[in-house]
Amino acid sequence: MATAPASPPKIALPKSRPEWLENFLGQLGALVLSMLIAIGLGAIIIILYGENPLDVYGAILSFSITANDGPAYVLSIATPLIFSALAISICFKAGLFNIGVEGQFLVGMVTASWAALRLDFLPGPLLMWVVLLFGALGGMAYAAVPAILKVKTGAHEVVTTIMMNGIAISIVAWALNGPLKFTNAPPGQNVDLRTDPFAKNALVPDLGHVFGWGPAPHLSWLLPLALVATAIVWFIVKRMRLGYEARAVGASSGSARAGGISIGAVQIKLFLISGALAGLVGMQQLLGDRGYLPKNYEATLGFTGIAVAFLGQNNPIGIVFAAILWAILARGESGLQIETDMPREFVIILQGILIMSVVITYQLAKRRLARRQVRRAAAEEELVTAAEEAA
Amino acid sequence: MSFGDLGFAIQIAFTYYTVIYLTGLGGLFSERSGIVNIGLEGMMIIGTVTGSFGAYYFGAKLGWGVPMGPIMGLLLGMACGALFASIHALATVTFRIDHIVSGVVINLVAVGLARFLSTVFFEGQSTQSNPGQPHMHTIDIPLLHSIPGIGRAFEGLSPFVIVAFLVVIPVWFALNRTRWGLRLRSAGENPEATRSLGVRVAPLRWEGVLLSGAFAGVAGAFLSVEIVNNWREGQTLGLGFIALAALILSNWNPVRLMGAAFLFGFAQAIPLALRDWPIIRSIPEQFVNMAPYVITIVVLAGFVGKVRPPAAAGKAYEGSSGL
Amino acid sequence: MVNGEGAGRDSAPPLVVMDRITKIFPGVVANDEVSLDLRVGEVHALIGENGAGKSTLMQVLYGMYPADGGTIAMNGEEVRITSPRVAIARGIGMVHQHFVLVDPFTVAENVILGDEGSPLLHPEEAEAKVAAIAASYGFQIDPHAPVEELSVGEEQRVEILKALYRGVDILILDEPTAVLTPAETQDLFENLRRLRADGKSIVFISHKLDEVLEIADRITVLRRGKVVGQTRPAETSKAKLAEMMVGRPVLFELEKPVVEAGGPVLELQGLVGGRLHGFDLTVHAGEIVGVAGVEGNGQRDLADAIMGLRPLDAGHILLEGEDLAGETTREIRNAGVGFIPEDRHDQGLVLAMTLWENTVLGRHDDAPFVNKAGVLSIKTIKELSRKLIAMFDVRARSIDVSAGALSGGNQQKLILARELETDPRMLLAAQPTRGLDVGAIEFVWRQILDQKAAGRAVLLISAELDEIYALSDRIVTLYEGRITAEYPPDAPPEEVGRGMLGDVAEKAAS
Repeated sequence: MATAPASPPKIALPKSRPEWLENFLGQLGALVLSMLIAIGLGAIIIILYGENPLDVYGAILSFSITANDGPAYVLSIATPLIFSALAISICFKAGLFNIGVEGQFLVGMVTASWAALRLDFLPGPLLMWVVLLFGALGGMAYAAVPAILKVKTGAHEVVTTIMMNGIAISIVAWALNGPLKFTNAPPGQNVDLRTDPFAKNALVPDLGHVFGWGPAPHLSWLLPLALVATAIVWFIVKRMRLGYEARAVGASSGSARAGGISIGAVQIKLFLISGALAGLVGMQQLLGDRGYLPKNYEATLGFTGIAVAFLGQNNPIGIVFAAILWAILARGESGLQIETDMPREFVIILQGILIMSVVITYQLAKRRLARRQVRRAAAEEELVTAAEEAA
Repeated sequence: MSFGDLGFAIQIAFTYYTVIYLTGLGGLFSERSGIVNIGLEGMMIIGTVTGSFGAYYFGAKLGWGVPMGPIMGLLLGMACGALFASIHALATVTFRIDHIVSGVVINLVAVGLARFLSTVFFEGQSTQSNPGQPHMHTIDIPLLHSIPGIGRAFEGLSPFVIVAFLVVIPVWFALNRTRWGLRLRSAGENPEATRSLGVRVAPLRWEGVLLSGAFAGVAGAFLSVEIVNNWREGQTLGLGFIALAALILSNWNPVRLMGAAFLFGFAQAIPLALRDWPIIRSIPEQFVNMAPYVITIVVLAGFVGKVRPPAAAGKAYEGSSGL
Repeated sequence: MVNGEGAGRDSAPPLVVMDRITKIFPGVVANDEVSLDLRVGEVHALIGENGAGKSTLMQVLYGMYPADGGTIAMNGEEVRITSPRVAIARGIGMVHQHFVLVDPFTVAENVILGDEGSPLLHPEEAEAKVAAIAASYGFQIDPHAPVEELSVGEEQRVEILKALYRGVDILILDEPTAVLTPAETQDLFENLRRLRADGKSIVFISHKLDEVLEIADRITVLRRGKVVGQTRPAETSKAKLAEMMVGRPVLFELEKPVVEAGGPVLELQGLVGGRLHGFDLTVHAGEIVGVAGVEGNGQRDLADAIMGLRPLDAGHILLEGEDLAGETTREIRNAGVGFIPEDRHDQGLVLAMTLWENTVLGRHDDAPFVNKAGVLSIKTIKELSRKLIAMFDVRARSIDVSAGALSGGNQQKLILARELETDPRMLLAAQPTRGLDVGAIEFVWRQILDQKAAGRAVLLISAELDEIYALSDRIVTLYEGRITAEYPPDAPPEEVGRGMLGDVAEKAAS
């Protein structure tokens, strides 16, 4: 074994904060700063438009937080966004951009619908769980395609996943026109393209009534499921081997390879987990809101998930808060229209400014923290070496 | 199945070629200067909404008619695309944010911004423009359009398509025979070399990104002004990403990009013009719609290993910020 | 060739005077009131350990960084050099240690970049101009060739041409011989003498004391950012220079333990792939085999092939008889191969991760660090890392510091600690002391010798002949992807140098 050299002289190093505290404070500072910037820039736009920022921000908040069922709507909107952002963020740990959450969730809705319609002989709550499982499996299977292409051919996942999104739209259209077509239209009535309604026990029960909220917002038990998923993702990333390998690959793929990590295996596993999470994104509208798959399903949840993931800095806790913040803005959008003259599209601009400002501030903060660490380590090494020479 | 159908398909391919080639050129300038730009789709989107507005406002509202109305639309789309691209430049060149992250955010912001602009431009409508938007008179290429059958390809083309075929000449010249082009390319291959000789990298990269916005913007404007004749949300159909695939396929070469762009342009035409052809006829229509996307994936998967991107593209240049 | 020729026309005033230059980076005083002057027609060597501040000082002169204190005067007048452009305009040119050439461009394009002469390019004219300058200094180069096809020596000539094209009077060379064979080094020295005779001032930054004593007229020694001495080759010696550089007497040789070599541990047979064209070698237990060679002759491919990081077109790798063909890197590591990579940032550590996370890289899928379900045992990992950093003297305040914050020497010690902890049967060390200061170099060498003493097999790949000589029991030379010759550890360097050039009849390695 190695021979131990003489231990360095003990000298008093200047006291400083432990690393985790430094990181935490730095991130907190960046968060506050980015919020202030976004609010400030938004206020400027509002003023330019001729409105009062307090009125506008007030309208957004009152409609989403203090209104009757406001919080229920907010949480209900946030639920699919949490799944979507988790899907994006777990891939991003390894430097992969799964922009295909959009398509994966559409396919998940198709497979879940199939299960809900064809497996309705299953008893009680089992059907619901099976439907959820099929949703996840559908997303997972669809995510496997760009994953395998990336690993085998090197095709960049940004372009392939976006192409897969386009294909998924056609898949849903085909399913609605073909195998899952609505069969029980009442005679003489013109019904929009959609599937049959699902059996009652396929649906996810309402959660809102527990808190005294009405059924209209459709707040469902998918929310606690999303929080459980958040905890699971956190655990995988921080405490499991896969998460460790993913982070190593994302930070330095060369060193990860030299350390024996199989980059392709990691990438595929992450994509599959991501796809499974993506498959659950559509479950809120499918099993919570509607109970069938309509032609005019709510799309863009995948892209919004990207926004939420970046807003939450790809950190599970951050994602939950970011999803709620985003949902507050989304819900408040309707309040804008009712209570002010500001067009509702202002909210979209505000969301855009928010993302940009968060991404930039965090980058700058991270770099500043890293430089500080290097500086401190170098200064300490100087002190130790000087002490050695003096000795 | 007829040659007339094939001619029609080629005609459509020419128009989509224009969109894809110009957008791809934009991507080329950006990436060869060292900045990866996946926000081309977003820049195109800004081009579609502002181009549509320009054509409508100058052509119909102010009564400038044709062709000045549509031309103003194209110019406005180009300018606004470049302006929008400055966000990407600021993020990637000055703040050194990861290029792909910035591009993704650009695409997200563009959708929302387009809606916002639409409400401002088109009297509160957020997803479509007003009727009465003028477009240029189409032309028929002399001689070629009289060929029976295939000649259909050369009829009814927007004059701007000609531009898209000729622009390769000044582009090639600028890249390979000017001082600016040499410096731009060196910034994308080895920015340390560029800097060590006293040439500043940041301005070159800004120029590359702004050019990409201008090209993508005019391509988007062409789409909404000349092809579809109005603005609708979502009309870019992922063409910005298809342009990226064409760029990779062409090995970042403006001449080869023409071929790649035409290939993908033709893929767009398949569901539109060749539905009745044998084989295609028997595939469910939704699957035919997938054709452009599937073709893109197949091409990308088959060719990616054999291309050589600019060596420094995607890596932040850690010189002093802004220098 | 007498060193004194043209060395300082002492009567003439100095061309450049750098007076009390101070340059501070975050946490480090890189230059502390350093003064240096350059005379017309001299080769002035600037020496010091890694991190002594020599490159920084010249980067200040070249305008890449502004000085935080002190002045620069040229021809008696104070000047402010704010960018490389200004430096070039004032006649100062710099050839960096790591070449900055645009690979796909031709030689001529690389030379004229930034000084093209007009907004439009005229390739033939440019190439003619470059050819003329090269000829006037006796350089051999083809201006039309793309740089990516050039040899390392030719690339360096292009770098020098870049400066000459701009009419510089002062040429700064940063570690120019790091990548040259002994013969190419002599070619370079010829060129330098010609330039000196032409009245140019040359600053020669190096840590290779033998070369410095050969070519320099004056030598300035830096240590930890300060000037500790200035002398001439005639008035000093290698040992004295080394002592000035480090501040204490330096051992150039460590005691080599005497160990009876055992059976073959690593057998490399006919390796072909990348830059390898038929590489054969056997390393026995208890021996250190040194593969000497100039970078670019297959070293990286050799290391990568052994570790399973690149596929081979042909050949066999046997570890104590077992064929490692087709095995993954993880399997190879598990079979008992430790790896000190030549690039500690790209193949060694994950800089963004913490120290403790890096300690377990490569063993993170073994018990007791991970249980069957894949859950990490962070407590166990942290215990291991505390033990290792104490044992290997890795200077870090806590194990939660990110690896990127450590100095190069500490990073290398961390890698050593991690690899040696597993008691590998076979240690592959590629350029293990690149960029390290003398203290760290001694430490690393001692560890490698200890491995040999413990009966392990060590394959050392190095471009530093000092290192090869200090550690090896057998020396082999690598040229163009194959072993050209084998030498005993007391062979004279000129002979080894010839082997590095392929200038020998091929001998089979035992």
